[in-house]
Amino acid sequence: MDNSTILETRDLNLWYGQKHALIDITVRIPKKTVTALIGPSGCGKSTLLRCCNRMNDLIDSSRITGNVLFNGEDIYDGHADAYAVREKIGMVFQKPNPFPKSIYENVAYGPRIHGVREKGALDRIVEESLKGAALWDEVKDRLHEPALALSGGQQQRLCIARSLAVEPEVILMDEPCSALDPIATGKIEDLIIRLARNYTVVIVTHNMQQAARVSEYTGFMYMGELIEFDETSRIFEDPGEELTENYITGRFG
Amino acid sequence: MAEKFHAELASLKGDVLAMGCLAQGMLHRSMEALRTQDAALIELVARDKQRIADQDHEIEQKCLRLIALHQPMAKDLRTIAASLKTITYLYRIGRYGKDIAAVVPELADAPHAGGLIGIPQMADLVEGMIADALVAFEREDLTAIRGIEEREEAVDALRYSILRECLACMTENPETIARCTNYIMIARYLERCGDHACKIAEKAHYMVTGERIEIR
Repeated sequence: MDNSTILETRDLNLWYGQKHALIDITVRIPKKTVTALIGPSGCGKSTLLRCCNRMNDLIDSSRITGNVLFNGEDIYDGHADAYAVREKIGMVFQKPNPFPKSIYENVAYGPRIHGVREKGALDRIVEESLKGAALWDEVKDRLHEPALALSGGQQQRLCIARSLAVEPEVILMDEPCSALDPIATGKIEDLIIRLARNYTVVIVTHNMQQAARVSEYTGFMYMGELIEFDETSRIFEDPGEELTENYITGRFG
Repeated sequence: MAEKFHAELASLKGDVLAMGCLAQGMLHRSMEALRTQDAALIELVARDKQRIADQDHEIEQKCLRLIALHQPMAKDLRTIAASLKTITYLYRIGRYGKDIAAVVPELADAPHAGGLIGIPQMADLVEGMIADALVAFEREDLTAIRGIEEREEAVDALRYSILRECLACMTENPETIARCTNYIMIARYLERCGDHACKIAEKAHYMVTGERIEIR
């Protein structure tokens, strides 16, 4: 693993029961970049994303072989702590899922369970996280209103703020815009690009134009395999594999 | 939707090709007019000027609409990009045909000096280059443009030999200055048409392979 790689999989295989969902995935995610995973439904892109912070541990029938290295350490090593992994590798889901609490409490929740008690410190984290998620200006005067009163796009940015509050290094996003309108989508995309200055973002998306707009690297997956991984401009202008070409030009998928 | 898009893309290539035929026709007729002083041909080329401008505009609109509606990727995107550039080159070729046809009446007062001093030969070469570049674009067959660089060099060499010959002619007989100046201009237009053929070949190469090359 070189210095610029933050997350890496080596010969990663995953089964859900009998189903071989990920097949020999070897990929390096460069630090402080946006990497997009694309591919048809069921190709394994969300599964791969969830392997990166051990979310698949929650599925009883799943079994993996191979390695997932975060900063050179295997996160599936017997000594690794799944909770510590998820603190450093946060996740944002398809549908915004704020807690049924106030805006403030949603963001303060993570730091608080990690032991931050002092109000001034929590206030600072909440403000910084909301600013980082480009939501502060819209909510600063109503921090104690219920999060569920926010619009869908605002809720999604709140979820991003919530993940920023525990100072992660990587943010995994599983189709973060698929439940949002085009304006809210545009804001999240701007935010993703801005986040990559300080964080590494890995995004699963069905929207190829979105992948092309926000990411620097793109991986194309098909039937559990990573068919191609390259610079995004290369993937969308002149992919190396015919399968990739056929998928992104709508000839199948 | 993908099917409809691919049908439209095929029709776009057909439109580019049709525009190519028009541009080739304009250049070819202008050379015929130069040889024969046929006023009807001059008229025809002048009329095509508007047609080629309209086609340029329509194809550009079509390309922009395809990009906006379908957000194409990979080779589909390269095909549209190549089409957009190619129509500009074709438009220029057609315009040079019009420019050549426009000077033909000025050369009507006397027979051509020295059998048009290599201009017909140059025109044949250039027309062949344009035809082959369009074949490469249409059939996505790059063998058609193999060796186009050497042909371009031959065109350049002919242009200089025409220039030298015209200079000699003008020095010898100043009465030929007006006529020879037109020959020099025509040779210059043909050379530019050859350059445009090379640019079309470059775009066809990019469309097929995704790799950008420079032909001289």
